[in-house]
Amino acid sequence: MNAMLRTSSPFVLAGLLFAAFPAQAAPTVGQPAPDFAVPDTAGKSVKLSDFRGKVVVLEWTNPGCPFVAKHYDSGNMQSLQKTWGAKDVVWLSISSTNPRSGDYQKPDQLAALWKKQGATPRALLMDDDGKVGRLYDARTTPHMYVIDPKGTLVYAGGIDDKRTTSQSDIKTAKNYVTAALTEVTAGKPVSTATATPYGCSIKYN
Amino acid sequence: MPRALFLRLIALALCAGSLAAVAKPVRTAHVEAELVAETATIAAGQPFTVALRLKMAPEWHTYWRNPGDSGLPTTIAWTLPPGFQASDIQWPAPKALPVGPLMNYGFENEVFLLVDMQAPAGLATRSAVTLRAKANWLVCREVCIPESADLTLTLPVAAAASGNTAGSMGIAATRDALPRAPEGWRTSAHRGADGRVMLALDGAPAAAWRGATFFPHAEGKLEPADAQLLMLHERGAQLVLPPAKQPVGTFERADGVLVVLGTDGTPRAYVVDTPIVVTAPPDLGAVRGSAGGEPALGLAVALLFAFGGGLILNLMPCVFPVLSIKVLGAVRQAHGARREQFLHGLLFAAGVLATFLALAGALLALRAGGAQLGWGFQLQSPATVAALAALFFLLGLNLSGVFEFSLGATGAPRSAHPRVNALLGGVLAAVVASPCTAPFMGAAMGYAVTQPAAVALAIFATLALGMSLPFVILCAYPAWLKRLPKPGPWMVRFRQVLAFPLYATVVWLAWVLGTQSGVDVLGRFALALVALGFAAWAYGLAQAGAGKARIASAAGVLLALWLAWPATVPAALPSDRSAAADTGWEAWSPARVAELTAAGTPVFVDFTAAWCVTCQVNKQLVLQSATVRAAFAERGVALLRADWTNRDPAIGAALAALGRTGVPVYVLHRPGAAPQVLPELLREQIVLDALAPLPRTTTPRKETQP
Repeated sequence: MNAMLRTSSPFVLAGLLFAAFPAQAAPTVGQPAPDFAVPDTAGKSVKLSDFRGKVVVLEWTNPGCPFVAKHYDSGNMQSLQKTWGAKDVVWLSISSTNPRSGDYQKPDQLAALWKKQGATPRALLMDDDGKVGRLYDARTTPHMYVIDPKGTLVYAGGIDDKRTTSQSDIKTAKNYVTAALTEVTAGKPVSTATATPYGCSIKYN
Repeated sequence: MPRALFLRLIALALCAGSLAAVAKPVRTAHVEAELVAETATIAAGQPFTVALRLKMAPEWHTYWRNPGDSGLPTTIAWTLPPGFQASDIQWPAPKALPVGPLMNYGFENEVFLLVDMQAPAGLATRSAVTLRAKANWLVCREVCIPESADLTLTLPVAAAASGNTAGSMGIAATRDALPRAPEGWRTSAHRGADGRVMLALDGAPAAAWRGATFFPHAEGKLEPADAQLLMLHERGAQLVLPPAKQPVGTFERADGVLVVLGTDGTPRAYVVDTPIVVTAPPDLGAVRGSAGGEPALGLAVALLFAFGGGLILNLMPCVFPVLSIKVLGAVRQAHGARREQFLHGLLFAAGVLATFLALAGALLALRAGGAQLGWGFQLQSPATVAALAALFFLLGLNLSGVFEFSLGATGAPRSAHPRVNALLGGVLAAVVASPCTAPFMGAAMGYAVTQPAAVALAIFATLALGMSLPFVILCAYPAWLKRLPKPGPWMVRFRQVLAFPLYATVVWLAWVLGTQSGVDVLGRFALALVALGFAAWAYGLAQAGAGKARIASAAGVLLALWLAWPATVPAALPSDRSAAADTGWEAWSPARVAELTAAGTPVFVDFTAAWCVTCQVNKQLVLQSATVRAAFAERGVALLRADWTNRDPAIGAALAALGRTGVPVYVLHRPGAAPQVLPELLREQIVLDALAPLPRTTTPRKETQP
């Protein structure tokens, strides 16, 4: 019941030692997006700051999640990736699922799975230890972020405003990522900069 | 539950054969879903209650109206016969369900989602109506599965809504546990001292509470996984709400459910719906304790932190004032018998331990009496500071050779009471060096003061053991001391040299007294020291054989006491002097922090005290450094200083809200984020790293030292 009564496991202790020092602040919209370097499914390290000067989309993904399936089975996510990829937007799909989770897919399996679905992100990143996910305070799949060419986080939140698993809702939903990308590529400020993310919880370790 | 089952069977038996409510449960992979009515029959024009009953497989859960970090609320879409009206779902209070580092709000096992129905007038009795609903829910364990069911419930129409059904008890029990209006206490919400929102529960019977959690109806306002600190006050309680790390919209209204856990283990849910105001919360009296806060250390961890903190304390700037006492203590024993040396180490530890326990006991007793005190409180009294300064002055004069402490008439060259010295050395070390908190120590003590007395004292005792351990080890294995030269005239000179650090300590304590009581009192106190010096000198003469000098010595002591008397009167000076002393800093107040954070200005608060040497070192080396000042200026950070040199209940309460009970504490409030507490021993880089996420408001420029 009471956290104080819990006996200390080494994990609790490690957590507290970590907590005793200043924690990295969660990124806030309007502030610099924290840099990271993480391997893609081929094992090649991909660094966010290498894309400085371009608009970057971060998409947290997990094929085992029905909310992710909604946007892939309908072709919605692939179409976003294709449309904006053609406009020089860098799309990074990130898996922060921990290897012990039932949802975990090995890098080659995950790459093959998304390829079969017709996904075309610039890179599919394996964040197995959840470091990047925690750095961005990502909590759901999907959870979407847009970063402007200057490296500022301009959107964080859900993909759209219809919080369901039903594909038929996509047509009538307001897609926040499309809206943010339209504005940021036109050099305009993003009018809806945050929205509640929805989906499955990210399977962090 | 055999009794419940029995009653249910009876209810079923009673209904069987007559006109009965008929529903078909739907079983999905992980959920059994069913529409149930509270009464076996309904009546024309009368309200009745139905429920969507969801029975989840073990370990699976469905979601509340605000699902927390992920998930979806359950929905019911009704298809009703003409004239029927359905209310929204009356949500029971949720349970917080942790998922790794994330938090969901939902239900496990079985839940009844109540809906009030209104039957139209003019329904024919002995007819039956069928309510249809499509229910959608997301059921999750490790994985999530969206499920739905088309449900029907056929109810006979009678003269009155009556009779029990299989769902009657579940519905009644759920209704009894629905969030209700607070009983005899008022809830208000305040954007608080530190930018966080605080729920003030004025008059709540918080003494019978073990914990409380506020579940907001709106998402993106609070951080679901962050702990909510409950502060128990004399007349109610305050719940500190952690803001969302990625806020969606602004948090203007505290609208949700407060779930309180009684000491009997029963949860009770209360409705909260109040605008968030910027005014200060009502005065709820002294803090009696807290529960569920962020630094929720377990006892074992708290003890470990206390021990480590005590060890580190030996390396903190705090120990400068007692350094020479310790060095002298060690050197004095360099040539003694091994057993005697070890005994001295233990006596020193005993002195530290006894002092810590005495100080902690006094602190706990005074806090129980309602005083808003924290660690280091002994130096908040000018009288104690003056007495310590006088004592250190006498010790210094003693080392300088002006007089000896021996009670005999002849001045013995060596200390006559080495064991007593070792014990008193420990006492002095604890009194003077412990007021500032070291890394780990702050968290351990913050935990200690919220615990029962026995636990708290155990933690303070562990702290004392940690602090004295290095000295005990030194005494147990005095190998390095053997390398010192043989006793000789160098010992006398060495003793004399060590007097000067003690004089420096006197100056420091006098400065503390000056900031507490002002320059006039300080002036008189300096004169008192002169008189004390005269008394010591005369006493030394008497020890050398001049018997009449004793009278002069006694007169000197009396004069010193008379001169020092004003220092014993509690200070009446405002506590923002040291803030005013530095340009760019202003005095801290909860209202000022609230005002600045509400305007989106980042705020850095320096909780400090003149008697905290570590605070002064951090201030000089880090906070006043050109680099740090430039970084503050660049990011438009407002600098507030909370000076705890004198007692101040507001500062005590603010520290308690941060889970601390001593200084130094450094807090950075960033707009829309939880306050960040920086380590007790600052470095420039720590401050710069903490400031890094803040946007620059001015272009960087070469800062010239002001």
